[in-house]
Amino acid sequence: MPRTTTVECPGCPPLRALTFDALGLIKVTESRGNSGGIPQVVERWGDADSSKCVLAASIDDRANDPILAVARKNGTIEISNPLSGDIFVSISDFGDGDGHPEDDDIAGLHIFKKSRSVGSCSLLTCTTKGNASLRSVDIAPTESTNNGASNSWKVCAAGKVLCAKVHGSEKHALFGGKGVEVNLWDLESSTKIWAAKPPPKNSLDIFTPTWFTSATFLTGNDHRKFVAGTNSHQVRVYDTSAQRRPVISFDFRETPIKSVAEDHDGYTIYVGNGSGDLASIDTRTGKLLGCFLGKCSGSIRSIARHPDHPVIASCGLDSYLRLWDVKTRELLSATFLKQHLTCVVFDSNFSDKEVVAPDAQNADEIPGEVEQEALKLVKRKKFPEEMKGKKKKSKDDRSKKSKKKCCQMESKECDDS
Amino acid sequence: MGAKRKKEDAPEMAEDADIDDGGCRDRRNRQKVEKKEEFRPSMIKNKEKRSAAHAKLKHQKKLEKRKTKKAREAADKQALELGEEPPQRSVPRTIENTREADETVCKPDDAELFVANDADEFSSILRRERAPKILITTCRFHSTRGPAFISELLTVIPNAHYYKRGTYDLKKIVEYATKEDFTTLIVVHTSRREPDALLVTSLPSGPTAHFKLSKLVLRKEIKNHGNPTGHVPELVLNNFTTRLGHRVGRMIQSLFPQNPDFRGRRVVTFHNQRDYIFFRHHRYIFETKESKQQDPKSKKGKDAEDKSTGQQVIARLQECGPRFVLKLKSLQHGTFDTRGGEYEWVHKPEMDTSRRRFFL
Repeated sequence: MPRTTTVECPGCPPLRALTFDALGLIKVTESRGNSGGIPQVVERWGDADSSKCVLAASIDDRANDPILAVARKNGTIEISNPLSGDIFVSISDFGDGDGHPEDDDIAGLHIFKKSRSVGSCSLLTCTTKGNASLRSVDIAPTESTNNGASNSWKVCAAGKVLCAKVHGSEKHALFGGKGVEVNLWDLESSTKIWAAKPPPKNSLDIFTPTWFTSATFLTGNDHRKFVAGTNSHQVRVYDTSAQRRPVISFDFRETPIKSVAEDHDGYTIYVGNGSGDLASIDTRTGKLLGCFLGKCSGSIRSIARHPDHPVIASCGLDSYLRLWDVKTRELLSATFLKQHLTCVVFDSNFSDKEVVAPDAQNADEIPGEVEQEALKLVKRKKFPEEMKGKKKKSKDDRSKKSKKKCCQMESKECDDS
Repeated sequence: MGAKRKKEDAPEMAEDADIDDGGCRDRRNRQKVEKKEEFRPSMIKNKEKRSAAHAKLKHQKKLEKRKTKKAREAADKQALELGEEPPQRSVPRTIENTREADETVCKPDDAELFVANDADEFSSILRRERAPKILITTCRFHSTRGPAFISELLTVIPNAHYYKRGTYDLKKIVEYATKEDFTTLIVVHTSRREPDALLVTSLPSGPTAHFKLSKLVLRKEIKNHGNPTGHVPELVLNNFTTRLGHRVGRMIQSLFPQNPDFRGRRVVTFHNQRDYIFFRHHRYIFETKESKQQDPKSKKGKDAEDKSTGQQVIARLQECGPRFVLKLKSLQHGTFDTRGGEYEWVHKPEMDTSRRRFFL
């Protein structure tokens, strides 16, 4: 009989991931079913156009009023609803007065979660020429000027900024790139508080130019520790309280480290490089914990860690979205998405189980929610009949979801959301 | 014989022992069926007995095959005599037939594919906005057959130019070529004095494909070879089905001008089979010849007469030019960069888990 070996992929826990690709399309992949759900693409938003290639994306996936910001190659930043894909606001002509030159792509984008208020959000963007800008944007549907207060500064004088990350506490941000050493900036005062120093020349006196391709903070508590990956396949751990040179630095395979993601425990990181190797490394010791084997043949452009489930998603140039189990490093599923993928984010407020919640509770929830635009109800059709009676289905879903999410966590108390 | 019997008994005894409660009949029957299917000559430990059993099995299979063939031929002949259709032949199982279902195969109605094609690096050449201009060079080492191969490549690919490598860095070469409006750079890499690999880079920023080159046969080594003319050849690209294959196919297509000269009767074929791309270069000619029909009885009357004196048009091929086989090793996203390279597809040994899985 034909000699084929097919490894059955175990399914994933229920989750929802949004992937962004080189043609500007946003695809939503959901996996339903508590054990063994196979992820499927449920929605596809956007028009395919290579000038709209997505360069960076950020999601604020709170229970009510989540927003998604997407930075495209033609200079526009779109703020939309991650549940329906409707664009709230689209900012173009991004730049400080003198317009937006052709080669000044956006390198990093971040939505501030802590200081969100109804109807507006603040974004940090950074372009490759080093123009970083902190601006608040109104997302109310009514006519209003797009740019609220904006504060911009130049991150680097020369070189190209390739990676930008904001710390969990949202007070600090780090930037690094080609010819740009990793810098740590204080966002409230817009000052650079720390810059890295390149490691000493090696024994052969060979000087490798600085070229950071990815960076991330290690934990949400301590802004002083972060990890950066370089073009010469080195992963460097920095501690600003200790020294300016990297504390630990180790080599990983032979191609540039294209993406780094941190785990919740504060010391494990996941690195993905240009030839599709994904591995988890312990930063305390510098030891490689293990590689994620799953026939990934293209460069890994982005890794995302799910906030609740022990799942990471990786996407890249081989057009597959792969979901991995963190502990066993097993491939949970691989979904083919047809284009070169550039970013992936998780929408953590997702549950596909229907809650048998009493109606009285829902009635209380409705007045407290934010008024939203009409949302697509197509994806809801999978949900069973008890939802049919409600008009404002989406809000109920989200309130139920947040409640359900509490109940799903085994050891946590289910507080009032 | 004794050995065979022991083997047959042993699994049965083991399975009997495993049954705790008096097994149901189904289980017994199933075991018996399983037992029959399980037996293979490779289970016999004694080499002489095993080889005897294997030879016997092969002989039996050969006899069966001969029998079925004879029966089939007899049935065919009978059917023809009776004037009926010969019975249908069953389709043999091949590796291409049993290829694993691949989700990356391009579907004909995929709008995203068309948009991706319009947006990719080769579209400007394929839409005839730019004319292909190829720069061929070698690696730094000399080779015995390299220059002959390159001179043949220069005749196959129109508008190709050869420059000596010297000691230039590939990145510098890419810059220079972009400045001079070349569309593709081909580097013939040599190993052990034989051309070994082909690096095809689309300029200015295009993907780089690294192919392994093997089974190179030069023109002078082909018997009765033909000499190619200067007409623009027709291109035949076979079996590039998956997305990756489609991309590689478009890359190869962008090497040749998009206006083939049919009067030149020259065809270049890249045939992909099981991830190996076979390159052939032929000149063809259409000829009519008298056909000799042997079964006029099937259709009596005018038709039969026409057939018996009818003309059939056939195409004859004369091979010219080199013959070689390529295998894609990696596809890099930008121009060739060993250190900073980002790969769209790289072959990894862990991907070869199945003999029925191909990537192109």
